[in-house]
Amino acid sequence: MQSKKRMNERMDIDFDRIKTDNPFRIPEGYLASFEDRLMARIAAEEAEASQEKRPRPVWRILKPALTLAAMFALIFGMGYGVLSLTHTLDRGAGTAAEGYASAEEELIRPISLINYYQSDNPVEESTELDEETLIDYLATELSFADLAEIYAQLY
Amino acid sequence: MSTDREILQLYREGGREQAFRLLVQTYKERLYWHIRRMVLDHDDADDCLQNTFLKAWRSLENFRGDAQLYTWLYRIATNETLTFLTRQQTRGEYAGLDAADRLPSDSWFDGDEVQTVLHQAIAKLPPKQKAVFLLRYFEEMPYEKIAQVLETSEGALKASYHHAYEKVKTWMKASLEAKY
Repeated sequence: MQSKKRMNERMDIDFDRIKTDNPFRIPEGYLASFEDRLMARIAAEEAEASQEKRPRPVWRILKPALTLAAMFALIFGMGYGVLSLTHTLDRGAGTAAEGYASAEEELIRPISLINYYQSDNPVEESTELDEETLIDYLATELSFADLAEIYAQLY
Repeated sequence: MSTDREILQLYREGGREQAFRLLVQTYKERLYWHIRRMVLDHDDADDCLQNTFLKAWRSLENFRGDAQLYTWLYRIATNETLTFLTRQQTRGEYAGLDAADRLPSDSWFDGDEVQTVLHQAIAKLPPKQKAVFLLRYFEEMPYEKIAQVLETSEGALKASYHHAYEKVKTWMKASLEAKY
């Protein structure tokens, strides 16, 4: 019965009263110290923000570009080195072939041939021999066996 | 207490920090109570209040003066608190309700049974409706001002407040009936 009475009292909610009585409390000195705490936080956040905004040293800005340039230079250098080496080998091979050819030419020079078979009476190296003289010489002075030997040496 | 005009004049004359301190001194208490009734917990209210003034500090130079500082600050505080409540809700910890459940044992709450039930009922309201109810019921803010703070039409606010009031009354009665 008493409980019912209490309930009825509670049900008669006085909305005007309960809104004026503030049931919340705050720690002592909270509002008085609020500004200082807030300003300290603002100062800390601004210091942090300015730290983030500070310009980076020039080398740090250029570092990626320099790294890229160095890599290009390295790749170019390596490429150039490989190409140079290949070219030198080709050139070397060419020189050897040319030397071989010139030796062959030397071997079959008409005066050399004549002097080979006529060592007792050599012809001057500077002597100019035309084709006809050579053929005459070969026809008159050399036997068929000598000509076959020369042919075998040349081919 | 300084007026909005004095604060803004001081700010424009270069006394930026001094003007801001005046602004904080003038509005901190009112904003604290507005936020506290929304979140119930003192520490949460402190976080929201600091964030409110931090935002005000950052955007005070862009304040155009076409609204009162008072309305502008209430808008920031309300949005900041609604964001806080929504974030708590999406994390699965409905801050308002949890804090409401903890109210009887909260060392910073001295309310009697009816006051406890009242704040527990308010905590059940959707966040924006809660803001409307608190601004109108506790702070007796005119609908015109609430409309500026929440950027909503007066008609919608009146309907929202009426629904909130009826819900709070019903929940309170149900809660008290269950106890006796």
